[in-house]
Amino acid sequence: MKTIALADLAAEAAGLPQANVLFSTAGPWTGETLRQAGRLLPAAVLAEAGDVVLCLADPLKLALALFALHGRAERMVLISPATAAADAADLLGRLGPCTILSDGAQGWMERGTPVVWDGDVTLPGASPVTAGPEAVAETRWVFATSGTTGRPKLVEHSLSSLTRTAKRGRGEGAALRWGQLFELSRFAGIQVFLQGLMGGGGLVLPDTRWPLRDQLAFLAAHDCNALSGTPTLWRKILMTPDRPRLSLRQVTLGGEVADDAILQSLKREFPEARIVHIYASTEAGAAFSVKDGKAGFPASFVDEPPGGIRLKIHDDRLFVENGDVSPSYIGSDQRFADEEGFIDTGDVVERRGDRFLFRGRANGAINIGGNKLFPEEVERMLVTHPEVRLARVSARPNPITGAVVVAEVVPAIEVPDTRPTPPRFSPIAAHICNAGRFRRSCGWWTASRPRRPARCRGAFREDSAGYRRNTWPRTCDRHASCERRIECRRHRTAGDGGFGGLAREPAGSRAFPAL
Amino acid sequence: MTDVRAKIISVFDDVISETGATQKVNLEDGTVLLESGLDSLGFAILVARLDEELGYDPFSLSSTAFYPTTFGQFVAFYEDNRPR
Repeated sequence: MKTIALADLAAEAAGLPQANVLFSTAGPWTGETLRQAGRLLPAAVLAEAGDVVLCLADPLKLALALFALHGRAERMVLISPATAAADAADLLGRLGPCTILSDGAQGWMERGTPVVWDGDVTLPGASPVTAGPEAVAETRWVFATSGTTGRPKLVEHSLSSLTRTAKRGRGEGAALRWGQLFELSRFAGIQVFLQGLMGGGGLVLPDTRWPLRDQLAFLAAHDCNALSGTPTLWRKILMTPDRPRLSLRQVTLGGEVADDAILQSLKREFPEARIVHIYASTEAGAAFSVKDGKAGFPASFVDEPPGGIRLKIHDDRLFVENGDVSPSYIGSDQRFADEEGFIDTGDVVERRGDRFLFRGRANGAINIGGNKLFPEEVERMLVTHPEVRLARVSARPNPITGAVVVAEVVPAIEVPDTRPTPPRFSPIAAHICNAGRFRRSCGWWTASRPRRPARCRGAFREDSAGYRRNTWPRTCDRHASCERRIECRRHRTAGDGGFGGLAREPAGSRAFPAL
Repeated sequence: MTDVRAKIISVFDDVISETGATQKVNLEDGTVLLESGLDSLGFAILVARLDEELGYDPFSLSSTAFYPTTFGQFVAFYEDNRPR
């Protein structure tokens, strides 16, 4: 089956050969100029027809690479430049030989064939109208996702699955002009990118490295009237004073749970806009959208799902069936779809009357502003700090980012009873951030003061395997010789990943110092 | 200066110092929150810490959603929604 080039899809949607379909920092691009995008890429990339990894911080370069390589490369693998080196190397290990196009070399890129795209992009001058290179491959688009266990994985999509919910323009005019604020290397960013191109009204592409106010000004200057963002980003927009006024006709939210507060605030800010929040995941694709301005989704979606997908609720979890997505991770036998094709989204839902509301992740993952992390990973990292003996990490709801990470730590150093202030835990924050995985996605935490237990209590129970499992260990500062003095160990175990504090040694643990 | 304002400034200084910022920000009523040195994540932490220090979160207590843009609005929001 012949693949249609992206530039041709965009031009067809816009209806006019000279219509601008992309508004960038380098100027406006028509379908014709975008057909020549390949001439702007380093030649070494175009010579390859296999897998191409795209790790580009400049959103315009990334967009042009997508235009040039869709239909030529077998797969385009999008890896954010913010990805930790260890994770990127791990992802690369699951691919075969590949070319890596970046705008700045990093060490892990030596595992493939690195090609650096230097310099700024300039709009091609007028040239004789020629057809672009013929599209020969049904290029697959590959994204990194945290999946269900935290470490990034690769999920493969077709253009068909990526555009399943996109509203196609037919050159009819009065189409929406979308603004790109989502990072383009993420699944949500590509959803906006493709909707902008296929809707016919064009896509406005500011430099997402600019301050938010400047990005908004760029959007306003190019008559952006449709915008998608996470609830956290929308809150940030609403917190920007003297913000450029956008006359939005469409406001879309995704990536996090949208609460009634943000939905109502957006309705007040953009009274002419249709407010839509989208449920999607990298594994399930874009599943459904909710347009009634309320949090959650109607219970009727289970029996009458919109848009050709199927939903089911099982064990209070949401399952989605999307036939356009490969049902397993690349480089892994791990399937994430069952025999009927339903994918466990991992999202816990609760029915309230005629609606389902989202309650959180079944695996306890914390979503901070659209970034997910797992408490156990942070706990394991905290206890590698020499001043930390024990840690417990949890989420606290937050009106700005949806949730923040909270860590309660028991220090390894002795704190006299009379000392009112806890040790400074700021170096621990730096310790974890320097570990690389959590630079921006984990956010921060509030390290509470060490708890002063009121009484000592037994904190152990044995599980079926005979391991002594720590609950929340408390130390007793009054009963040093008490037989029921609590004992515990640091959560440093081999092989089990340190989850749950299972101590693999037999009982007979060290005494815990009194705080 | 009200005690609420003083506490907000104190916790703000703590959160800012943990970002590694060395320049002290002079917080005035007109100071734009998102230009004060904290990003949205920093504000999330500020709100969480103030909940611990003051014992309430006005964003949860307020019946209407509100997103302050300046420091003055932020302080007023806390003062106006202080539980009696």
